[in-house]
Amino acid sequence: MAERQYDVAIIGGGPGGYVAAIRAAQHGLKVGLVERDKLGGVCLNWGCIPTKALLRSAELYSIFKRSAEFGITHTGLGFDFSKIIARSRGISERISKGVEYLMKKNKIDIIRGTAKLAGKNFLEVSTDGKDAETIKASNIIIATGGRPRTISGVVIDRKKIISSTEAMALTEQPKSMLILGGGAIGIEFAYFYNTFGTKVTVIEMMPNILPLEDKEQVKIVETSLKKSGIEILTGTKVERVTVGDEVTVAVSDANGKKELKAAVALMAIGVQANIENLGLENAGIKLENGFIQTNEFCKTNVDALYAIGDVAGPPLLAHVASHEGIVAADHIAGKAAHGIDRTNIPSCIYCQPQVASVGLTEEAALAKGYKIKVGRFPFRPLGKAMALGESEGAVKLIFEEKYGELLGAHIVGSEATEMIAELVTARALETTWYELHSTMHAHPTLSEAIMEAAGEAYGVALHI
Amino acid sequence: MRIEIVMPKMGESIQEGKILHWTKRIGERIEKEETLLEISTDKVDSEIPSPAAGVLVEIRAKENDVVPVGAVIAIVETGLVPENTALQESVINFNVGNQSPEVSVHISGETNKSNREEKSGRFYSPLVRKIAEKEKISNQELDAIVGTGTNGRVSKKDILAYCKQKEMLLQSVGRKEKSFFLQSVPIEEVLAKYPEPLHRIVPLDHVQLKMAEHMSRSAATSPHVTIVDEADVSLLILLYHKLSDGFEKEHGFKLTLTPFFAFAVVRALKEFPLLNSSLAGDKVVFKKYINLGIAVASPAGLLVPVIKYADEKNFLGLAQAIHDLTYRTRAKRLLPEDISGGTFSLTNYGVFGNIIGTPIINQPQAAIFGIGAVKKRPVVVENEGNDSIEIRSMLYLTLSFDHRFIDGATGGQFMARVRQGLEQMTENEVQ
Repeated sequence: MAERQYDVAIIGGGPGGYVAAIRAAQHGLKVGLVERDKLGGVCLNWGCIPTKALLRSAELYSIFKRSAEFGITHTGLGFDFSKIIARSRGISERISKGVEYLMKKNKIDIIRGTAKLAGKNFLEVSTDGKDAETIKASNIIIATGGRPRTISGVVIDRKKIISSTEAMALTEQPKSMLILGGGAIGIEFAYFYNTFGTKVTVIEMMPNILPLEDKEQVKIVETSLKKSGIEILTGTKVERVTVGDEVTVAVSDANGKKELKAAVALMAIGVQANIENLGLENAGIKLENGFIQTNEFCKTNVDALYAIGDVAGPPLLAHVASHEGIVAADHIAGKAAHGIDRTNIPSCIYCQPQVASVGLTEEAALAKGYKIKVGRFPFRPLGKAMALGESEGAVKLIFEEKYGELLGAHIVGSEATEMIAELVTARALETTWYELHSTMHAHPTLSEAIMEAAGEAYGVALHI
Repeated sequence: MRIEIVMPKMGESIQEGKILHWTKRIGERIEKEETLLEISTDKVDSEIPSPAAGVLVEIRAKENDVVPVGAVIAIVETGLVPENTALQESVINFNVGNQSPEVSVHISGETNKSNREEKSGRFYSPLVRKIAEKEKISNQELDAIVGTGTNGRVSKKDILAYCKQKEMLLQSVGRKEKSFFLQSVPIEEVLAKYPEPLHRIVPLDHVQLKMAEHMSRSAATSPHVTIVDEADVSLLILLYHKLSDGFEKEHGFKLTLTPFFAFAVVRALKEFPLLNSSLAGDKVVFKKYINLGIAVASPAGLLVPVIKYADEKNFLGLAQAIHDLTYRTRAKRLLPEDISGGTFSLTNYGVFGNIIGTPIINQPQAAIFGIGAVKKRPVVVENEGNDSIEIRSMLYLTLSFDHRFIDGATGGQFMARVRQGLEQMTENEVQ
């Protein structure tokens, strides 16, 4: 059989790989996409989407528990854990099928198997029980993603010590859970399991949970999560993990050492790149901190070899992967005008209250030497927040003093993840405080807090 | 909304206008298209209508002031009724020749809706407008910035790069007034287009830096017009051959054609002192001497050594000076004063066989003369009413001149004079 030839071969069909495939096909290139599992990658199957389905269940359940506040009575509120999981899995299934349809529509070959680089323009794709097929490609995009990282010496056994993958498909709800890592993944699962009655303890080594977010805003979330019953241990180091009937985690903090026990431990300390068995050394690809090194057009140090998404380094977010996929495909087609702007990447965390941000935190802005003006506006006085019964939250905006440039935006609250888009767009369009403040915002909405926070920075907020 | 009224551009070559008469007083209401003022340019007098209905709230130039094109001369506020207007008359005298008057932009954060977009049709983000305001970047400067954003939009990066360049240049020039600057593509943009390792970065040497500065400045300062003429130098070539015989033996160096060109140019300059002058603001500086610069390709790059008092030298004196300067340029033995003080320049790209060039004026001179290669061509020659084709030594001459103050007729007549000088040069003249 003659070897298959492509303009672009992509390894991995996640949100980076499949978007790159569509974009490249739209440029008229012949595209082959190698996937060893399901299309959609972690995002659709084991990440963003299924967890949002789970969190929606948790959110609704917690609202039901407050129903009396809204004048609604019910009898026998309950939940079926397996159905909550089943709904989440079903949604992943459906979206993965959708991606398959998109591949077909764009005439992209899906090659099932595991790919390995064999020199600069060749891939060897092997499937169980079949000989390796060699594929020739003028350009190759590595989009193999990442997987949960663990602490050295601790094995994720998928039973007692689990990763996010297991955490979203448990057959039985655990009575208690220790979550190692207070980043986005850890906090979302903490909120989910705590809402349904699992005793949750979060262990974070840094002085704050969500260490990448603005400290002042994180305090609001932390207070809320603690109030809902989650135990949060910050500045706490994991010393040892032992598995018996229960999982025992020995920790230490400034006050000394102690042991924590729970039915399961969720390892959520971060993600590592899938760089093994890819033949990177065959191609001479350079790594940096365990990730593939790329330039602003997602090209590696080797010509015609690109890397996008988690495998190419932080921030490890699906929307970054997709965006990189577009830039890489454009660059291959010779149509990339701009590289990735890494200063304007939104970050969203979907616990309640939600956390969403873009740009610099107050601490980071000061550390960079900016003179700043900070505007804050809480949800509490907003009519819409009261009507929704969601008065927990606040908008915080950081402006550069001289020109009024929006350096960063940090929202905590019910619809924070939807509200942030306005501020990402504002930054992309180089808006100053004045336009944010003087642009009419619909009443009543939570977004009025953005308009007011911009005004507050300059002493002209109205409702405070 | 505050509408800025600017001195309109009344023609391609018009750089400024004189305010003759304001038909409205501060505080008076004006309708759209109603005459606001009368102006005069060197070509016409015109009535200027208001672009919008409103109240005239500010007049920034008095009657009889001469104001550069594009400068703000008045503000019309559209959202006011006359009685309630808090009025403040601020009249600023414009310094003629000051390219970017300090008063051209006045917008505050609260009344940010300037009509910049309407003027140039170009979109500027709020942040870019704010930076322009704070850094006193005029509308014309803003319009000249190359945008690297979507559809060529000027981004924060672009305007900040511009500010930095401008500041560096102003520092290097050593004066605070805004004049010119090096417009260049930022290195980030270039590197993005030609990624590693397919490039090599070499900084400009000092001669290239000077060249970059001078050429950008000149192109931005003077509207160049280049005219081309054709000279039949068959007789001149005969003369050259006759003179060069034994010339080296007698004078110690080889005779070239350049002294003949210099000779013809200097003689024509005496007749057309405007070509030997400089424009300074609204005044022309006539020099009582001719210092002729000659562009020389040296190992270090392009240099223009100057023959001092070329008008006082005879042909042999010119030839000696040219030989001396060329020799010392190539030997890197020029002194600083050798390359300063030029009043007019000559460039001979003919030495490379090139026939026509469009040279750039060496500021603050008024014009530059270009000489092509002498080539033998079949030419139609009229002799006592009969046409015949003859082989003649032909030469293209070019003259780039500053059209701000030298018109086409003057430039053309000067050119014709040089041509005649070359075509009709006699042995007597160059003895």
